[in-house]
Amino acid sequence: MLQYYDPNKADPSKDYGTPASLSEKLVTLEIDGVETCVPEGTSVMRAAALVDINIPKLCATDNLEAYGSCRLCAVQIEGRRGTPASCTTPAEQGMKIWTQNEKLAKLRRNIMELYISDHPLDCLTCPANGDCELQDMAGAVGLREVRYGFEGENHLDAPKDTSNPYFTFDASKCIVCSRCVRACEEVQGTFALTIDGRGFDSKVAAGQNESFLDSECVSCGACVQACPTATLSENSIIDLGQPEHSVVTTCAYCGVGCSFRAEMKGDQLVRMVPDKGGDANHGHSCVKGRFAFGYATHNDRIKTPMIRDSIDQPWKEVGWEEAISFAASRLKNIQAEHGRESIGGITSSRCTNEETYLVQKLIRAAFGNNNTDTCARVCHSPTGYGLKQTLGESAGTQTFDSIMKSDCVLVIGANPTDAHPVFGSMMRRRLREGASLIVADPREIDLLKTPHLGDSAHLPLRPGSNVAMVNALSHVVITEGLEDTDFIAKRCESDAYAKWRAFISEPRNSPEAVEEITGVSAAAVREAARTFAKAPNSAIYYGLGVTEHSQGSTMVMGIANLALATGNIGRDGVGVNPLRGQNNVQGSCDMGSFPHELPGYQHVSDPIARGRFEAAWGVSLDDEPGLRIPNMFDAAIAGQFRALYVQGEDIAQSDPNTQHVEAALKALDCLIVQDIFLNETAKFAHVLLPGSSFLEKNGTFTNAERRINRVRKVMPAVAGKEDWEVTVDLANALGYPMSYNHPSEIMDEIASLAPSFAGVSYEKLDKHGSLQWPCNDQFPDGSPIMHMESFPMPEGKGHFAITEFVPTTERANRKFPLLLTTGRILSQYNVGAQTRRTENQAWHDEDILELHPHDAEERGISDGDWLGITSRAGHTVLRARVSVRMQPGVVYTTFHHPGSGANVITTNNSDWATNCPEYKVTAVQVEKVSQPSEWQKDFVANHHRQNKFLAEASAVAASDE
Amino acid sequence: MHQTEQEHLIDMINQIAVNNISLGDDSVVADMIAGHVKKFWPRRMKVILNDYVINEGGEHLHPAALLASKKLSKEG
Repeated sequence: MLQYYDPNKADPSKDYGTPASLSEKLVTLEIDGVETCVPEGTSVMRAAALVDINIPKLCATDNLEAYGSCRLCAVQIEGRRGTPASCTTPAEQGMKIWTQNEKLAKLRRNIMELYISDHPLDCLTCPANGDCELQDMAGAVGLREVRYGFEGENHLDAPKDTSNPYFTFDASKCIVCSRCVRACEEVQGTFALTIDGRGFDSKVAAGQNESFLDSECVSCGACVQACPTATLSENSIIDLGQPEHSVVTTCAYCGVGCSFRAEMKGDQLVRMVPDKGGDANHGHSCVKGRFAFGYATHNDRIKTPMIRDSIDQPWKEVGWEEAISFAASRLKNIQAEHGRESIGGITSSRCTNEETYLVQKLIRAAFGNNNTDTCARVCHSPTGYGLKQTLGESAGTQTFDSIMKSDCVLVIGANPTDAHPVFGSMMRRRLREGASLIVADPREIDLLKTPHLGDSAHLPLRPGSNVAMVNALSHVVITEGLEDTDFIAKRCESDAYAKWRAFISEPRNSPEAVEEITGVSAAAVREAARTFAKAPNSAIYYGLGVTEHSQGSTMVMGIANLALATGNIGRDGVGVNPLRGQNNVQGSCDMGSFPHELPGYQHVSDPIARGRFEAAWGVSLDDEPGLRIPNMFDAAIAGQFRALYVQGEDIAQSDPNTQHVEAALKALDCLIVQDIFLNETAKFAHVLLPGSSFLEKNGTFTNAERRINRVRKVMPAVAGKEDWEVTVDLANALGYPMSYNHPSEIMDEIASLAPSFAGVSYEKLDKHGSLQWPCNDQFPDGSPIMHMESFPMPEGKGHFAITEFVPTTERANRKFPLLLTTGRILSQYNVGAQTRRTENQAWHDEDILELHPHDAEERGISDGDWLGITSRAGHTVLRARVSVRMQPGVVYTTFHHPGSGANVITTNNSDWATNCPEYKVTAVQVEKVSQPSEWQKDFVANHHRQNKFLAEASAVAASDE
Repeated sequence: MHQTEQEHLIDMINQIAVNNISLGDDSVVADMIAGHVKKFWPRRMKVILNDYVINEGGEHLHPAALLASKKLSKEG
């Protein structure tokens, strides 16, 4: 007898028609004489597909609930009348089913005949040719004629909608199967599509009968993916035709780390299709990962190494060898003159684990100091610190899938539907199923507008009052006796708990006492705390709205306290979940990018750990922490820090207080930038080394759920070298030998030195698809949920931390009466270097200042006005959008466009423990102006000048040839 | 708005002090600060802090931060 009972073992390349049932009870049935056993609740269609009996279908696909509209999947069942649809009929014990006989064949042919009578017969020139389910089904049922003819009323002249830059909606090819509508609802959760009209007039409509671009469609691609015909087709497929091979790889945008099939024609990428087998995304995608890959082949790519003596000179194109030896000799000379600690480097959270590991190894072993840092400094360094102090490990505790078992979801300072869209969709799915939602955020984020949302509460706190809020939530839990006493007694350190309990119970931490600080009513806070504490499974999700504050680390510890106090750690459905910004922020931290930690979070002062690295690397290592990024800037301005190697990070745009950063970069004698574009930082560089995109290299990324996923090379590197090879060359030129043939060898070295990666290898990754660390002898297949039995802390106990609320020094006053907070938008990514070079510009081609109608009216501001924004640090100019999403007194902008100068106005304030900048609170004044700021004028002038230097380099190189 | 490196470090260590003020008396807070500085601050910053305390008396330091700095110089 054939048996099937593990839904996870399904072949991701096959469509089983309906989703897997998770029931543990099995039923046995017979299909076309084949006996099989499936979980109760499995459809007859899926049960058949699992034994490779493939019933014809059109409206069914296995990432959507069964719908039963096309009737093509009709079957006959012993003892039942008629021909039920196999997609909507659950398999039952003892059923006997026939999927093919003369009656069914005739029925199916009749159905197909009706479909085809209103369908263009341009198959040979149709973009879906070679990938069309309608054509396949016509073949499967043996359709040979259409007796109705094609002359009657039809939809063959229905217009095309080409408004979306990435896909075309050709209504003439639509069979109204509703797969796109259902995908938009069930998979994406946006509900932008609907079937408009009835009967023959039924048609797919976006929004209120708008174009796709004007509707609320977020261009995630789920509808395109679901369409069984050419109705919704990628423009790249229309232009290029069907791909001929594909490679599974990992998206290089946000920390969700979606798996994609890169579908290729030779070395040309035709489209990115979300991989159903991907454990982070289960076949879903967002507009960035799905469509915004054009930057990889953009004309702006740096294709040749370049050098120059001063940043006021044109670039000179040189070969790799000359560029590397120029860089190495500069570094050596600077160290000889100014000492070992006068140079350093920055690893990239966009590069692979292997590349990040090599850069920090280069710095520690070849530079001989610990002056290494990474952009996690400016985003999630407080997560690393805060979670290590309380839970013992610098990482989120769950899988993404865990949310499907949550009953209450608390989102603090995060905007998942924009910044982590694929996970945002999963969150919305759970919210539609009935989980309650609590959002603590100054803005009314889109998650609060989830269609079919059940219980929800918004705690619209003032920027800078997070710690007061989380303390108030915990205060209610403790003083109302809602804590999980068993969990606390068994799993937490008792002394620390007693101290914390006394602290948190103090009246000054009550919701009533902090109402003035947070601006949120005490009653709402009490209600939210009760909902959170009483739900069987409560989970906390947080983002940069937690970390990027002067109290970022305190807030992370406050979140961990709340989870510990309510026993929400160590199982599915609960946990502390930092939503990581960039694709490999988790990985870059794991790989020892921070100046105080060797790979695997081993402190540089730990003689045993350091000894192992010294033995493996053949050098002695410094036992003192090195400079963090802000300290590097200070030291550079003081003339003590003279050279910096930056791989794949744009500190000039992304770091706060731009004037300070620019002063530091200008003070350097040698800045080596390795990037795919001439980014803002590269404008201050002396050596420009071409980077490789994620499509051009092998390696691994680690996402926000600690999932290590393979990145696979699908095309050659534009400049001939993958990023890790460049670091190897630089090390060798500095006299520190490095030799690797493939990134898998670098991973083997990592596994030998970082205990939580001990069990990771490329072979195992290929076998499992992905692995969540810790992965070692104790957890050979990785660790989806952490801290199930104990914490990696003294005696295995969780630690409650005292979380004093200390207001930021950045306060509003008469001169700067508004608070500016910053964030992201769906279509653009971080500094925008990638997405600005794609059609995503259609959605967001400039950064806008959002402000409340009250603040706008007071200043006579209307939508679209130019606004001067002044803080204690600087001045910039942006266009206005009046929006009720803001509270009065709070203004908001994004930082995706360098010319906006959002960071010209952010200050030097930073988190007390980690120096993570306080991007989320800047006191500002806003007024109408008529021209750009001085900084913006200088920016434009320098931009043109530096681009000219680049163009001159190519011209000189061309004339030399 | 511009700060010297020393001014920045004074702000940073004072910030550590006020954020951990509820841990106990100045001596307990100073132990925490000293441990934090030891673990996370680079040699260069420790030297600047030490010079400030030795040469200028550390008058702008929070009392617990001053105590921590003195503990660090003693160990140093």
